[in-house]
Amino acid sequence: MKLSGLYSLFTIPFALAASNTGKSQLVSRAAAGNGVIRLDASTFDLLTAPSRDWSASIHFTALDKRRRCAPCKEFDPAWNAVAKAWATVPAEHRDNHFFATLDFDEAPTVFQKLNLASAPVVWVYGPTEGPRASGKNVPSKYDFSNGFEAEPLAFHLSNHTPIPIPYKAPIDWGRWITFLGGLLVFALTLRFIAPILQSRWTWAFITIVTSLTMTGGFMFTRIRGSPYTGADGAWIAGGYQNQFGQEVQVVALIYGTLAFSVVMLTMIVPYQSSPARQRLQVYLWSGVLMLVYSVLVTLFRVKNRGYPFKLLL
Amino acid sequence: MSTAFPLPTDISSTTVANTASLLRIVAFGLISGAAIASRLFAVINFESIIHEFDPWFNYRATRVLAAKGFYEFWNWFDPTAWYPLGRVVGGTVYPGLMATSGVIYNFLHYFNLPVDIRNICVLLAPGFSALTAWATYMFTTEMKDSSAGLLAAAFIGIVPGYISRSVAGSYDNEAIAIFLLMITFYLWIKALKLGSALFGTLAAVFYFYMVAAWGGYAFITNMIPVHALVLLLMGRFSSRLYVAYCSWYAIGTLSSMQVPFVGFQPVRTSEHMGALGVFGLLQIVAFASLVRSHVSSKQFQNLLAISVVTMGVLGAGAFVVMTYKGWIAPWTGRFYSLWDTGYAKKYIPIIASVSEHQPTAWPSFFMDLQLLIFLFPAGVVMCFRDLRDEHVFVIIYAVVASYFAGVMVRLMLTLTPVVCVSAAVALSTLLDTYVDASEPDVPEERTEANGSSASDGKKTKKAGAAVGSQAGASAAAAASSAISDLVSASKSNAQSRQKGIWGADARLVILLNAIGMLVFFVFHCTWVTSNAYSSPSVVLASTNPDGSQHIIDDYREAYYWLRQNTPQDAVVMSWWDYGYQIAGMADRVTLVDNNTWNNTHIATVGKAMSSPEEVAYPILRKHDVDYVLVIFGGLLGYSGDDINKFLWMVRIAQGVWPDEIQEPNYFTPQGEYRVDDRASETMRNSLMYKMSYYRFSELYGGGNALDRVRNQQIPKVGPTLDYLEEAFTTENWIVRIYKVRKEDPLGRDLKTANAFAQGKKRKRGKPVSRRRAIV
Repeated sequence: MKLSGLYSLFTIPFALAASNTGKSQLVSRAAAGNGVIRLDASTFDLLTAPSRDWSASIHFTALDKRRRCAPCKEFDPAWNAVAKAWATVPAEHRDNHFFATLDFDEAPTVFQKLNLASAPVVWVYGPTEGPRASGKNVPSKYDFSNGFEAEPLAFHLSNHTPIPIPYKAPIDWGRWITFLGGLLVFALTLRFIAPILQSRWTWAFITIVTSLTMTGGFMFTRIRGSPYTGADGAWIAGGYQNQFGQEVQVVALIYGTLAFSVVMLTMIVPYQSSPARQRLQVYLWSGVLMLVYSVLVTLFRVKNRGYPFKLLL
Repeated sequence: MSTAFPLPTDISSTTVANTASLLRIVAFGLISGAAIASRLFAVINFESIIHEFDPWFNYRATRVLAAKGFYEFWNWFDPTAWYPLGRVVGGTVYPGLMATSGVIYNFLHYFNLPVDIRNICVLLAPGFSALTAWATYMFTTEMKDSSAGLLAAAFIGIVPGYISRSVAGSYDNEAIAIFLLMITFYLWIKALKLGSALFGTLAAVFYFYMVAAWGGYAFITNMIPVHALVLLLMGRFSSRLYVAYCSWYAIGTLSSMQVPFVGFQPVRTSEHMGALGVFGLLQIVAFASLVRSHVSSKQFQNLLAISVVTMGVLGAGAFVVMTYKGWIAPWTGRFYSLWDTGYAKKYIPIIASVSEHQPTAWPSFFMDLQLLIFLFPAGVVMCFRDLRDEHVFVIIYAVVASYFAGVMVRLMLTLTPVVCVSAAVALSTLLDTYVDASEPDVPEERTEANGSSASDGKKTKKAGAAVGSQAGASAAAAASSAISDLVSASKSNAQSRQKGIWGADARLVILLNAIGMLVFFVFHCTWVTSNAYSSPSVVLASTNPDGSQHIIDDYREAYYWLRQNTPQDAVVMSWWDYGYQIAGMADRVTLVDNNTWNNTHIATVGKAMSSPEEVAYPILRKHDVDYVLVIFGGLLGYSGDDINKFLWMVRIAQGVWPDEIQEPNYFTPQGEYRVDDRASETMRNSLMYKMSYYRFSELYGGGNALDRVRNQQIPKVGPTLDYLEEAFTTENWIVRIYKVRKEDPLGRDLKTANAFAQGKKRKRGKPVSRRRAIV
């Protein structure tokens, strides 16, 4: 009894030393990994040791090709960029928060232990000791609802770091160069393309294409990020308030065909020089109008099951 | 000239003109009748009742205006909204709608026609739809002719895209705003065509009315300047443009600043800077063209051009600097989210949460516009053929509005008028071509003439290009000459080539086809209007097995219960959607309502709803909440209920308290949103969940309690409530009202008190701190 008490007293300095060496180990690993510690099962336990005066944000991922985790690949650069930004803060703050990445293939046991079934996941472990200790040992999760970009991640993680993460979105040189280059090319070729720019039909084409894509629901697919087709190859999304990317093209094409036949009937057909050819065109375009309109109504009936009307089809 | 069918020859031209004008008047009367009548489905199917949410506030405000007069309304402070903050109604409202109803009310009462203010409010939107048809007629007449105008009026009268916001009872700002939009645009076109300061001033007056009526006035504020700017860039500057724009801008801006809610925004916010910038640019260009007309030296003209450009760049730079320095407010979130579509979801979840701010899928376009949606591009092409100044306006309007309508469902409303106008132009051109009885001449001589005219056209085009390159020095002049050359080239082509249709059968095919499509359009509009857009959403309808209609009146049942069974000053907490209805129908104090001006206050309600009872109770008590109202559709399968809106409450609360409320906690570990026994712990403990499913399984007598909205089994042992007690549940369980308990008189917390009352023994894990003996 007495002995064990003594023993525990005796071990305290060792424990402290252990945690100190643990911390210095983490610091050196973080420095080596460009701000990110690559974790395995043992370093994970070290980083999330029950008594710690540091906080850590850990990124669970599965980057191996066999895992086929597209979001992991998408998120990984953002994570590394934020971690790199954190590596630039002064050492007294930096060494109190660590960024770490744990790949599934390097430590599957940790995934099992934490009951993680999906990736990528970001957990933030708060410190349990020291002035910043929050008193709860449950990690908080990062919510990916704002997308996989670095900016919202840095913003969120700054709530947990000693000082805010000095993350700045890198200047997109490529975009600027393209923009300036485009401007230059435009200025240089202005002399040659001026007749095109001054032709009303160029602008008519731009206007019509824009309004057709917009009324085809393009912005819906942009904002909602709907896929181009369904998982099983279906190209019509079920439901009235939903659509796939391919539907934009189909619907815009249908609208365009219908509008085109009206334009043909009013602007081209009356100027024909032979009666026979004109009659043929009148019947042709009227037929196109009727038929494509029927297709459109049929398509709409697929989307809106309660629609009571139908044309030829 | 030969004709395809016999025409009477013995009618004088005056008779034709008179008959045409009579027919126009009759057609117009019928169009107005149809526009009003098709909006009355809501009254006939249900009753004369105010619809939805926002109209309830407008109605309440109008009642105050009618009962107490305009000055009382102007100074109205409403202490019952946004408790305990209150709301300065007079300064935070667009008063145009209420003032309009108030004027009509006083007018009728002056002639001793005692019409109830409610009926005026209910029927205001159908009445104004007839006026909209008239304004659209005038507008389209300026584009083409009066036959296109009549078609456009008929289209806008019955098109579902406009009916959706203007059925009887939909007493909202949009009810009068579309009329004001079209009449302002018409007056602007008229002013531009005539160079008339009178029409410019009239446009400004209606612009002022629009500013007073609807926040969407910013659409006009930007459309007219963009039109003027494009005309400038096309080299179409003229004194007509100058007079029209300056009279509209000066008077319109000064008068719009008289609306208290707008105040100094026209000179301080980015939305209005485009109009100001174009105003300045026009002054510079007008000055330059004045100087140019008096000075001949080439060098001086060059200097002038350079100085104009420099001044323009400097002016634009000044705007940037002033925005950067904060003298000009940047774009407000609501407008900014139109450009950066991800912005609202990230930073202003309140805006993103509203269902009418969602993007539009293509079936909505077809549902709302049907055949007009594909006649619309054809009409735009025809505008490009003539390309007069007013056609440029329609083209810009078409591009801008179709983008906006794609981003937000509610902006379908601004797209609808231009679609009607453009489709009417297309269809009436088609009919003009094929109704015209005259036939072209025999085809033999035409082939040669055709060939020579085509080569002529090419020559003139080349000549035009040469002239353009010579002029070279000023780009604008070159552009205008090239364009005018193109115009003249295409015109000469058109004139030299004969135009017309041979034979009666070709005409018959086209006409039958067109009439068939129009009849289909009418059927479509009637079906959509009666089925989709005429529900008041306060009263729901379902069909009995035998086909008869069954009315579900739970909302009003609950609101009348509140009105009759609770004290006058009782505070009712609900999600913000129902704030206006509670104030309007139950006349009780609310915490938040549909005027979503205070995000933190809404987030507080969201936090209370998404927290466990123990956390929510102090919040409720601090806000003096007496009753909590939730909407629950699980019994009936009514999908617009609070559990389906719950994630937005969580998100909005998370925006303010990211440490306490976290969205992922409300999902299962697999990331599903569930309410059955697999629901997450946080979800099951949240106040919203508990209030929704409290005693729900008892209804099924211990059987399978099925939530019919989410198709999930509810656990047999339902949630328990300690801090709230059920006060009232409506017939179909759509509205459930809970009373917040007061603190226990013995000072225990309510959980312990309840456990004691139910005879449960308190667990004595560790000794409770007893009163210590005084030593």
